[in-house]
Amino acid sequence: MLVLQILINGLLLGGMYILLAQGLNLVFGVMGVVNLAHGAIITVAGLFTFWFATHTQLNPLVLLPVVFVAMLAIGALLQRSLLEPLAGVGRKSELLSLMITFGLSYVLVEIGLDVFGSQYVSLPNLQTTWSLGGLTINEALVAAGVLGAAISGALQIWLQHTDSGKCLLATSQNRIGAVACGIDVSRMRCIAFAIGSSLAAAAGVLIIMVIPLAAQTADSLTILAFVVVALGGLGDYRGAVLAAFVLGIAQSAVGYYGGGDAESVVPYLLFILFMILRPQGLGRAAQAQ
Amino acid sequence: MSFERDTLGRQPRNRLTPAAAAFPSRGLQAYRAVAGLTILAVLAAAPLLSSGYILQLATDILTFVALAYSWNLISGFTGYVSFGQVTFFGMGAYATAVMVLHTPIPWYLAIPIAVLLAAMAALLLGAVMLRLRGIMFALGMLGLARILAVVAANWSFAGGAVGLTLPAQLTPNAVYAGAWAAALIAFGLNAFYMRSGLGLSAMGVRDDEGAAQALGVATGRVKILTFVLSALAPAAVGGLVAWNRSFIDPTSAFDPNMDLQLVVFTLFGGIGTLWGPLLGTLVLMLVGEQLWAYVPELQLALYGGLVIVVVLAFPGGMVGLANRFGWLLRRPIFAPRSFPAAIVPPPAPPSRPPDDTILEVRDLSVHFRGIVALDALSFDVRRGESVSILGANGAGKTTLFNAVTGFVVPSEGSILYQDRPVGGLAPFQRARQGIARTFQIPRLMESMTVWENVLLAAQHGRLSRRALEQTAWALHITGLAPMWLESIARLTPGQQRRLELARALALAPTLVLLDEVMAGMTRDEQEEIRGVLRRLPEFGVAAVAGIEHVISAIADISDRMIVLDHGKKIAEGAPAAVLRDPVVIQSYLGEVR
Repeated sequence: MLVLQILINGLLLGGMYILLAQGLNLVFGVMGVVNLAHGAIITVAGLFTFWFATHTQLNPLVLLPVVFVAMLAIGALLQRSLLEPLAGVGRKSELLSLMITFGLSYVLVEIGLDVFGSQYVSLPNLQTTWSLGGLTINEALVAAGVLGAAISGALQIWLQHTDSGKCLLATSQNRIGAVACGIDVSRMRCIAFAIGSSLAAAAGVLIIMVIPLAAQTADSLTILAFVVVALGGLGDYRGAVLAAFVLGIAQSAVGYYGGGDAESVVPYLLFILFMILRPQGLGRAAQAQ
Repeated sequence: MSFERDTLGRQPRNRLTPAAAAFPSRGLQAYRAVAGLTILAVLAAAPLLSSGYILQLATDILTFVALAYSWNLISGFTGYVSFGQVTFFGMGAYATAVMVLHTPIPWYLAIPIAVLLAAMAALLLGAVMLRLRGIMFALGMLGLARILAVVAANWSFAGGAVGLTLPAQLTPNAVYAGAWAAALIAFGLNAFYMRSGLGLSAMGVRDDEGAAQALGVATGRVKILTFVLSALAPAAVGGLVAWNRSFIDPTSAFDPNMDLQLVVFTLFGGIGTLWGPLLGTLVLMLVGEQLWAYVPELQLALYGGLVIVVVLAFPGGMVGLANRFGWLLRRPIFAPRSFPAAIVPPPAPPSRPPDDTILEVRDLSVHFRGIVALDALSFDVRRGESVSILGANGAGKTTLFNAVTGFVVPSEGSILYQDRPVGGLAPFQRARQGIARTFQIPRLMESMTVWENVLLAAQHGRLSRRALEQTAWALHITGLAPMWLESIARLTPGQQRRLELARALALAPTLVLLDEVMAGMTRDEQEEIRGVLRRLPEFGVAAVAGIEHVISAIADISDRMIVLDHGKKIAEGAPAAVLRDPVVIQSYLGEVR
């Protein structure tokens, strides 16, 4: 029963992690840039949701579409002003873009600190727990896990089965090939970053219901998202889904036996171990077999 | 990653060179050294005579100068950006604190021991972490700092989450002196490093790690050594700060914001330069000191914003701006004042039986996830031979070269070089044993001069007089001597290919693998290269294998031709016979009806 409990919590956590990581994955795929401000966007969106929901007494899920759309615009703006000037291929562009997002993350975190303070907050909504034959299931975790997986799945369907989505996917698979097919790659980069930011913001809205956030947690969320993406193999969606569940279950198990501190180290340890043992990622490894 | 291309475009002023070092006016150097030391001594003494506030500020600046220089070593030169140098700061702080508290070792001995421990830790960690590339390494280091913070917080011996309090014996003057020592050592390390063979190799890693391997650079060793060097000053500074504050806890010892500051200071001053870290730290800390009094809560946001502004507006930092006026230019490594007049050719190789086998490829197969690039290929290259490898695009020619040079692991079969299997050797080891190659698309080191590109290959891990002679010779022979101090961006495509060839020859190779060395060249350039290729035996090159599409350019200088099609050998023999072979014609021109 304990195993089942850990498994269910881990899977739900994993569902949320998929959404957490997908934006990062999309941005990396299309732009070749790891967005170090990803966690900061998640955090600021989460803290905004908290502030909004506690002031208006509205259900935070109402905010989800609003935050999503707002972040699309902000993301597009950020991409056009900060990242597009550096667009290119090769290590130099990659590292310069990395520096930009590194700087951006501090700007966002500091704004978050000044506006929302440094205390950890979490929304009190959806705190019912359901008991099912010895299992206790948290309503908020179900909402976040299921919604996270659903949003991410919907996006993936859009990417794979619509023309506009396919353009984006094609760009992430082969930039030169995409140019040759008449795809406006610069526009794709903008769209990818906008959607990536929106996904991060959506993840923030969901996370604030489950995990307490403060502005300074931004970095660890970036790492968490990156770990999922890296474990799955950069740019690989199915790998990322698998990695999200593995990480969720591992964290939920380690957290049960080792407490919060041990749980927080799991992503880093998994990341370093995995990068050394299997740098090609989970998804690729599964495909090869 | 290089931010100093501007540095190299102009005629550089190279004042300190091995040749020049032998005859400088000693008096002038001594005068300069005395003047420099006097200025330093006055600068160093001034804070001692002023208020405690100034002394503390000076100490803080010096510690950050030391830290920024250390970050510059690993991130600026090897291009492996670290977001976790605070790891070594924390290690130094904790090791010092634990030694002072739990052993009779006094603090001034504890800090050097802590530095030694951190260096050993860096050696072990480097061996693991530096296998991660680019972004993976950057984030891996960030993660490592977090892991250590959690470990420290849960380790009661190290004080746990509460931290450790050291016996309060604040000795600001001693700490100030220690900070000076750390800053000077870190600066000296940088200065020495960027004029050494190690620094040259590191810049090779930064520009193109794979090409550096092909030129005989032991990239792993270079990265790890640099990583260890970059851990020294942070550990020392960590120990000093722990002693200075007489208190450390996991949050302050492994503060991720410290890495932000290092990134900002170094970027602002100029990453990968000698003066950048000093200038950036001085300016930003002095300005910051005034500014934070007004907007204390915006410090990190302003630093973050500054990173963005610097990267977008002036990625070379202050040094990059100075370069535009011809100031603070980097000197090309070990470049003499003028191109050497006397060209010393490589020593003649020991005479060997004329027809021993240089390269033996047996049943070589390479598969890429189901795609067969090479299929049970066998051939020999004997001493004195020049073999051309032909085939349509995708026939597996470059894959063959990649397998021979160690860039691709064969799925089956064996490769013997001078009768010894090379399967277990890294690409750089094969290069050092005499297998040189050029790349189909030139992979030149874009932040270096022509001279340095060749020297990188000639040095074989350490710099000697012979390496300089070899470099000059290779440039002379390929006709690149007139543009020896140019940056790569100024070369024509033909010159870039000639530089590829010069680099390969600088290795003093026995076997040379040329991957379309004549593509994109004018007729005259082709003729010049053909002249060099004909003379290769004189230079000690025992055998040549070349991939070429310009068949007319190679038919008369090849002893033998091998034709590949879909990874298989379809023909082999004398050029005239092979080029008439109907199978070959069909493979090139399609089905003959």
